[in-house]
Amino acid sequence: MATDTNIAPSREFRDEVMRRGGADVARCYQCATCSSVCELATEANPFPRRQVLAAQWGLEERLAKDASVWLCHQCNDCTARCPRDAKPGDVIQAIRGIAIEKLAFPSFMGTLVARADRTWPLLLGVPLLFWVVLLGASGSLTTASLVYHNFVPHKFIYMVFFPVTGFATVAILIGAWRFWNLLGKGAARSGSFLAHLVPVLADIVTHRRFASCGQTVSRRWAHFILVAGFVLAAIASGLIIPAMYVFHVELPIAFWNPMKLLGNLAAACLAVGTVWLIMNRMDHTGRTGKATGYDWFFLVVIAVVVATGALVEVERLAASPRAGCLLYILHLASVTCLFGTFPYSKFAHMVYRTLAMVHERMAAPAGSSNQSVL
Amino acid sequence: MTESTRQPILVVGAGIAGVSAALEVAETGHEVLLVERDPSIGGRVLRSFQYFPKFCPPSCGMEINIRRFVRNPRVRVMTNARVVGATCRAQSWSVTISKAPAYVNDRCTACGECSKVCPTKVADGFNLKLVEVPAIRPYHLHAWPRRYVLDRKACSTNCKACVDACTYSAIDLAATEQQETLEVSAVIVATGWDPYPIERLSDLGGGVFPDVIANVMLERLASPSGPTGGKILRPSDRTPPKKVAFVQCAGSRDVNHLAYCSGVCCLDRRTPGRNEKLLTQASEVDGVKLVKGKVGRIERDDAGTLVLRVEDVESGRLLKASADLVVLATGMMPGVRTDWLPFALKKDDDGFAVDDPEQRVFVAGVTRRPEDVAASVRDATGAAARALAAAFKE
Repeated sequence: MATDTNIAPSREFRDEVMRRGGADVARCYQCATCSSVCELATEANPFPRRQVLAAQWGLEERLAKDASVWLCHQCNDCTARCPRDAKPGDVIQAIRGIAIEKLAFPSFMGTLVARADRTWPLLLGVPLLFWVVLLGASGSLTTASLVYHNFVPHKFIYMVFFPVTGFATVAILIGAWRFWNLLGKGAARSGSFLAHLVPVLADIVTHRRFASCGQTVSRRWAHFILVAGFVLAAIASGLIIPAMYVFHVELPIAFWNPMKLLGNLAAACLAVGTVWLIMNRMDHTGRTGKATGYDWFFLVVIAVVVATGALVEVERLAASPRAGCLLYILHLASVTCLFGTFPYSKFAHMVYRTLAMVHERMAAPAGSSNQSVL
Repeated sequence: MTESTRQPILVVGAGIAGVSAALEVAETGHEVLLVERDPSIGGRVLRSFQYFPKFCPPSCGMEINIRRFVRNPRVRVMTNARVVGATCRAQSWSVTISKAPAYVNDRCTACGECSKVCPTKVADGFNLKLVEVPAIRPYHLHAWPRRYVLDRKACSTNCKACVDACTYSAIDLAATEQQETLEVSAVIVATGWDPYPIERLSDLGGGVFPDVIANVMLERLASPSGPTGGKILRPSDRTPPKKVAFVQCAGSRDVNHLAYCSGVCCLDRRTPGRNEKLLTQASEVDGVKLVKGKVGRIERDDAGTLVLRVEDVESGRLLKASADLVVLATGMMPGVRTDWLPFALKKDDDGFAVDDPEQRVFVAGVTRRPEDVAASVRDATGAAARALAAAFKE
């Protein structure tokens, strides 16, 4: 090497990687099988060998500005082939989890969600308690009705979800800004953000990168259906507003109404995608990657949202107001939790991974391999 | 003197470790019985092109050992033989040796008339089935005992062309298996090793592409007595390759394959012992390029060229290197299979056998640990000494 490089190892970071799923990181002996079997690794900037070494050495700063960590789609081909069973896929997953925590604004929220394996009762319980108190205080709790807006007036929905969503948006934007600046320190960029965002979004929509994943290729369609469910749900919810206030559609919307059908299709997609992903993850637990409590948290919250949402609708048919209202509270609480933890849970990968993919396109090819060879 | 001091020591396996152990014991004046399942002594070492790192033919060293055998009346060598029964007693072992039918007996002079008339061709086991030979043939060029072998199962019914051609009455197609039971004082196990099968490395094209071969196959291709007369040719089209890739450490130090290091097939360009100078010399040869990194995958492109995916750890770049022939350096698996010995051996965590002094069983060579030829010979001397000590113990 031409010049000496001073490195600043962090024992705490290494311990954190090991705690968060990368327990076997120290087994790695740098043979580079992982990089050579990774379908997403590029010739100029292969991963994850260097990232695993950086994790072993506790080189937190280096990893914070390394987009490669986010380009990994966790197919675990590397873990399946790793001769030392160091589980590079789990190590990279742990690094991403730590990054989400470190980028979080406010930071205590990041810490709280990062420890979701222990804090989940709090993360789900606080929104639940909040809704119970709100509805109790307003007297709604005593007026169980299957016309749910009689039970929870729309103003309550707006009162809660506008601030929660606004807060989450501001928080993730701050995280995104921090992340983008860090990546810029890792490699110089050129070109226009928007021009590169378009092909990245096309990649995301088609789930092209998932197609290369050998071990867990079925995840491509499971994830695709889940994303489709979120998009359809967003469209359906977006349409409700003008329907109610411009066209004065009567609530509850009839089952045959296209908006209702769209909403139900979204719910079906979310349900199928979630169950499929959960099954996939359970199938692959062990040899090809292990999910931690933090990894499970996001998926479980989605599962609760979907399950309670579907049951609320079914209850309307079964005509049990008390059960319907109870499920509705659970549904509102889980949605609040999902939105509120968005910038801190695995949900945040939506933003960070997208940015990393744009960064990869904008970073000069020479610049990315400019860092010293570890 | 106890009874056991007059009983021979049994050595199982006549590869370099077994041969060395048998000779060391015999040259102290003790009786030895050397049992080999193949028709000839020499084992894996004789299958190599050149002895490493001196680069001399292994047959040369074996000739010296054969002379030692011929001169020493205390060694009894049984080839084509297996130990099929063994009972450990307080002072001795009672062992049953099964001798395969001697279709060709010791009247054979290796004149070759039988081979010329033999109508049947079989895959040549000595040359790792890379070539076909007559069913009756010399086992290999340097085979000792110098006697032809017959693959009787391959013979067509009623064919006795070889019997008619033989002027020495050396062929008996009706020969039968013979068994012999005798007492021995101690057992030295030197059953050697098997190469890790490249078929289990399908990600590297092993068993998938014909031009991905094992290191042991390359040794046969390079050997003047091998299937190609010493020319290295691609198995697919029998043409000389322009670019050869050596994939070191294929399937070794790998929890999915062999977890241990065999020490003779190295990643990391390790140079155990005195081999560093050799590495320097090799790296200075024109046209040789060394890359540090484990090859993860080998594919074949449309033109039929093999493409290796590997990260060059020193430059941090992912390479796609092309080659006409790929040689996988696979590791050694201990020869401790139950069909090789009628009793169970004590083993270490990696499956290699360890001494069992109470039963007077001693292990030599790669059966005990992965090692090269020189280390095997030293190891055999040690095993011989331990076995002798046990035989003389009151």
